[in-house]
Amino acid sequence: MTATTPAGGQPAVRPQPSGAAAATGLGGAVLLVGTRIGLWLGVQLGLAGLLVLAGVTATGGQALDRVAGWWMVYGALVDLGTLGVIAWLLGRDGSAYRRLLGPPTTAWQVTLGAGGVLAASVPAVVFSAELTSAIYGDATAPMLAVVDVPPLASIFSVLVVPLLAELAEPVAYLGVVLPRLEARLGRPWLAATIVVLVWAAEHALFPLLVSGGRLDLEFAAYRVGSVLPYLATWTALYYALGRRLLPIMAARWVFNGGTALALALGLVE
Amino acid sequence: MHRAILYRLTYLAAAMSLGHHLDHLIRHNAVGWPLTDQVNAFTMSLVVYPVIATGLLAYRAGRVGPGFWALVSGGGAVFVSAVHFGPAAVEPPELILGHYQPPILGWLAFGWLVSFVAVLAITSVYETRQWAEQRQTRRAARPATGAETAR
Repeated sequence: MTATTPAGGQPAVRPQPSGAAAATGLGGAVLLVGTRIGLWLGVQLGLAGLLVLAGVTATGGQALDRVAGWWMVYGALVDLGTLGVIAWLLGRDGSAYRRLLGPPTTAWQVTLGAGGVLAASVPAVVFSAELTSAIYGDATAPMLAVVDVPPLASIFSVLVVPLLAELAEPVAYLGVVLPRLEARLGRPWLAATIVVLVWAAEHALFPLLVSGGRLDLEFAAYRVGSVLPYLATWTALYYALGRRLLPIMAARWVFNGGTALALALGLVE
Repeated sequence: MHRAILYRLTYLAAAMSLGHHLDHLIRHNAVGWPLTDQVNAFTMSLVVYPVIATGLLAYRAGRVGPGFWALVSGGGAVFVSAVHFGPAAVEPPELILGHYQPPILGWLAFGWLVSFVAVLAITSVYETRQWAEQRQTRRAARPATGAETAR
């Protein structure tokens, strides 16, 4: 962290990219994104392969659809893998996880900031809802409709997965990848645009759904389009909040945890 | 640096507001005075331009700070959200999406509106942070000044 502390004990807010000087550089960012993409694909294809081999399903397509019902649970594996890579990068750079979260942030700043993040996410919610109804009408969005897990897995997806996701996903993209891209490109707006696009593209990979015997590319495109406004808003807010990640993580936790809870309680029809 | 960012965000929000009013003109629905005799939300929303112009002059003169802009952009975000997205929206998204041919133009106009509200909200968060930091700096400087005066 490069924030200085003037008299009065308040951190002066002139934060610099937290990982700009990281020795692992852009290679670390590529490794991190590659790990996430590889894990999403690997876990889903691996589980589908197991189902086919065990004779539970007849075709790979059926197996993928069945596996998709568990995506909110095995997402934890992707986030654990992400945290592993982050820990490895931090070890090589001699840095600490806390430094990735930006300047010191008090509890009231996190609370107030998270409120601001949630309020600023309203336009993204509206856009996403309109896109869903334009494509799927009154039906529930497929990534929520496919979720079908037993109660114990539901509890895990409400209590553990959203927390792991916040410790891994925004920290990976905004705390690790973005500063390294900024340092390489020298243009924050270009780095932010690339991060938002790559981050959104990752969402096309989960869950993998099949339609007419082929991967449902329309759904994949819908996934990217529906998350793009959220990710653009959160990335812009990361700058607006002086590169503080905690308010964004807290707001996302409320948002994603709330969605998982609504699904577990059967409130999403 | 912060002043330059604040100016840029204000100009961006003003340009996006202008673009959204242009969208109203093209669709010619949900418009009011001076285009029709009716005074409605469209008419009220035009107040934003004199507010921005006055605010820019007052900001340059040091009469107002980031707190003023946080209220203007935050108020704007709430107003536009209530008119377009709220439960009692007078101009819901369908009025934009359903009035363009080809439909992609409707999505462009709607995407513009969503971006406009997001810019207002993000600007408000940024300016609120600036405002809070300005107050903290002033508070930190006050005891130091007092100590020197006492000496």
